[in-house]
Amino acid sequence: MLTAQGFSKAFEYWQLFLQGVACTVSLSALTVIFGFILALFLAVCRMGKMKVLKALATAYVELFRATPMVVQIFIIFYVVFDGVKVLPGFKLFGFIRFERFFPAVVALSLNSGAYLSEIIRSGIQSIDGGQTEAARSLGLNAWKTMRFVVLPQAIKNILPAIANEFVTIIKESAICYTIGVQDIMSAVNAVKGATYRMGEALIIATALYFCLTYPTSKIIAHFERKMSVGDKR
Amino acid sequence: MTNDKLIQVKDLKKYYNKGKIKALDGVTVDINKGDVMVIIGPSGSGKSTFLRSLNLLEVPTSGSIIFEGVDITQKKGPDGKKLDIDLHRQKMGMVFQHFNLFPHKTILENMTLAPIRVKKVPEEEAKAKALELLNRVGLADRADAYPIQLSGGQKQRVAIVRALAMEPDVMLFDEPTSALDPEMVGEVLDVMKELAHAGMTMAVVTHEMGFAREVGNRVLFMADGKLLEEGSPEQIFGSPQNPRLQDFLSKVL
Ligand SMILES: Nc1ncnc2c1ncn2[C@@H]1O[C@H](COP(=O)(O)OP(=O)(O)O)[C@@H](O)[C@H]1O
Ligand SMILES: [Mg+2]
Repeated sequence: MLTAQGFSKAFEYWQLFLQGVACTVSLSALTVIFGFILALFLAVCRMGKMKVLKALATAYVELFRATPMVVQIFIIFYVVFDGVKVLPGFKLFGFIRFERFFPAVVALSLNSGAYLSEIIRSGIQSIDGGQTEAARSLGLNAWKTMRFVVLPQAIKNILPAIANEFVTIIKESAICYTIGVQDIMSAVNAVKGATYRMGEALIIATALYFCLTYPTSKIIAHFERKMSVGDKR
Repeated sequence: MTNDKLIQVKDLKKYYNKGKIKALDGVTVDINKGDVMVIIGPSGSGKSTFLRSLNLLEVPTSGSIIFEGVDITQKKGPDGKKLDIDLHRQKMGMVFQHFNLFPHKTILENMTLAPIRVKKVPEEEAKAKALELLNRVGLADRADAYPIQLSGGQKQRVAIVRALAMEPDVMLFDEPTSALDPEMVGEVLDVMKELAHAGMTMAVVTHEMGFAREVGNRVLFMADGKLLEEGSPEQIFGSPQNPRLQDFLSKVL
C-alpha cells in the first residue's frame, strides 16, 4: 500500500535521490560519449577492408548483443576489475564511489557501443555511393568524405534510432546499483533498508527516470527537425 | 613525353568476377591538352569504367595511367613516397549522370566544401569564386538553395561548376544529360560547350551525337571493353570503318 506518510518518509531521503539523479545522469552521459566513440570505431572496422579487424569487430558486436547486460556488468566489475581491489577508492563530487562507478561506465559503454555501431553502420550504408564518389572525385580523402559528406547525412537518418538508444542507456543504467553504484535505484534500496517500505520510493524513482528520458527524446526530436532542413522544398 | 599529353592511358584492363567480366580489355589512348574527347558505344561497353578509372574511382586490374607525368596507378609517387591520389583527383573534375550533389549542403556550400577543406582556400575567397562560377551558369540567385529545390538541369549545372571550383586541368563527364528531362538537356550541353570553347580539356561519355559532332575534336568508339575506332567526328560519323560502329550508328542516328 502506498500512503502519504510513506511518501513523506521517503522524501526525507531527498538528498539520496538527488545524488542518485546526478549519478545516473553522469553515468549515462559518459556512456553515451564513450559508447559513441567505440561505436564509430567498430562501425569503421566492420565496413573496412581489413579482414581481421572486420571479423573481430563483428564477433564483438554479436557477443555483446547476445548476452545479458547483468552478466556483462558482473564480469567487468568482479572479474576484470576484481571487485573494488584494482581501482583507487575515491569519491567523485564527494559521493560517487569511483571504484564502482568506473566499471559501470566501462560495462555500459562496451554494451551500448555494440548496439550503436550497428545503428551507425546501417546509417552509413544507407547513403548513396554516389555521394562518396563525388566527394572523392573532388579530392576529399576518405576521412574528410566521411566527416563532411557521409556522416552528417547518416546521422540525420539514424537520429531517431540513436535517441532511442540514449533513452535505453538511461534506463539500463539502473542495473548498476547491483554493483554498488549510487544511482537512483540505489537510493530506492537505501530507503527500503531504512524504512522497510519500497513502494513510495519506487514511484519517486519512476518519476525521476521519466523526467530524464522524456526530455532527452524531446530534445533530440528538436535537433532532428532542425537538421532536416535540406529536405524541405 | 611531350608537353601537350595530359593523360596517357596504356593497355588499361579492368576485370570483375576474377576475370569473367572484362569491363576494360586493354585500352590505350592519349588525351591531349585542349582535347574534347567524346566516347560513344553501346551500354555495357566499358565507357563508365574507362572514365572512372582515369581518376581511380575504379582501380584498374592492370595497365597504367600517366597523368601530368605521374603514373597514378603506382603505389609510390615519383618522389618515392606513397602516391597521394587525392592530390591528383583535385586536378580532375568529374560530373556524374545523377549529379551527386550533397543534399545536406546549400549550393554554395556544395561548391566551397572541397576548396576550403582540401585546398585550404580562405572561406571568403572560396565563396566569391563560387558565386562568380554560379553567375557564369546563370544560377547566382540559387546560391543559398538546397539541391532538392533545383531542377535536374540546374543541379547538373551546379555539379559542373562545383567541379570547376577546384580549378581542374581536365573534366570527366559520364553521361551528364542522360538523367535529364529532354527540355533540360540543352542548358547543360550549352555549359559544356562554353567550357570547351574556353579551352578546357574534356572527356565526355554521351549519347548526344549532336554534341559529339559539333563540340568534340575526337570521337572514340568502345565495345566489349575495347577501343574499336577513333577519329575526328567527320571520320567517325561520315565514314565509319568498323562494322560494330556502323551498326551502332545506324541505331542511334
Ligand atoms: N562493380 C562491378 N561489378 C561487376 N561488373 C561490373 C561492375 N561495374 C561494371 N561492370 C560490368 O562492366 C561492364 C562495363 O560497364 P560500364 O563501364 O558501366 O559500361 P557503360 O558505361 O559503357 O555502359 C558491364 O558489363 C558491366 O556489367
Ligand atoms: Mg555508363
